[in-house]
Amino acid sequence: MNYIMVIDDSPTIRTSVAFTVKDLGCEIKQAENGADALEKISAIRSEGNDVSLCIVDVNMPVMDGISFVKEFKKNDKFTPVLMLTTESEEDKIKEGKTAGAAGWMIKPFKPDNLKSVVEKLMV
Amino acid sequence: MIKYRDKNSGRNAYLLYPGEYFATKEDCFIISVTGVCMLVCLYETKLKFGGMCFVIVPGTFGTENIITSVLAGYGITQIELLLAEIVKAGGDRKNLTAKIFGAAYSNNGRSADELSESQIRFIKEYFTSERIPVLSSDLGGSHRRKIYFSPATGRVYKKILRNNNESSEFLKMEKEFIDDVFMNTGSGNFTLFERDTVNDF
Repeated sequence: MNYIMVIDDSPTIRTSVAFTVKDLGCEIKQAENGADALEKISAIRSEGNDVSLCIVDVNMPVMDGISFVKEFKKNDKFTPVLMLTTESEEDKIKEGKTAGAAGWMIKPFKPDNLKSVVEKLMV
Repeated sequence: MIKYRDKNSGRNAYLLYPGEYFATKEDCFIISVTGVCMLVCLYETKLKFGGMCFVIVPGTFGTENIITSVLAGYGITQIELLLAEIVKAGGDRKNLTAKIFGAAYSNNGRSADELSESQIRFIKEYFTSERIPVLSSDLGGSHRRKIYFSPATGRVYKKILRNNNESSEFLKMEKEFIDDVFMNTGSGNFTLFERDTVNDF
């Protein structure tokens, strides 16, 4: 079974993103920060399942989105990570790219845009 | 936003203009005036600081809920911008409480209108979904409100503006902000790094 990880400290946004991508052929798993996501990804993989994509906010307590990407990419160079955030500053976007993110989308997202980007990244 | 010295309290005061958001750990006042828009005051109860932002959902969203409504996404993002500042300063939304004001009738009449009702429905659904307790609110009605928020204590002082000439400059700016939000609902820009292209929608 393949999962899409939705990582955001806002339950409203997690639910909204999960609702948007629920029909793309993957199960959805939610996490409330980067550290929570790393634990859940590890559990998913230990059960013989895999993660196809992570959709991650930037500003979160405990472990922020950029730190998550850096940590996640240490052991997984291939699974794409899409940043979904209110941050639109060029420097922050470059930081995400350098950390290993595959894309950057600025909130508020349009459901069709998000679906189309997720489909492109999971090809 | 402008900063000045408040003579009565002897503290700095930050006057927030429509569309702006601001969070600070300073013992000060954040002040603003609202008519149709809502002012959201968030307080981090553990770290004892907070911030304030303007919120307007650009339209009514019928029977949809905030999870499925694209319009609600714009209101959510306005609050998210303030939340991001609070998180950057070390805060956690699990420690937040909220106080909300505004959403006055937009038609200058004395009866509730669709836009006002939609704003109120949005903000109630949002804070329920976020599990952030709303400690007090004053929403709807035909009057404007001037809000003084102390981010160091979470206290709010409210003044009802019954004379429409009061703060008329502020309300002109609020209308400009509302027009801007209603016209610019085309965000969701994205960049895919691997292909090195930028797509605008």
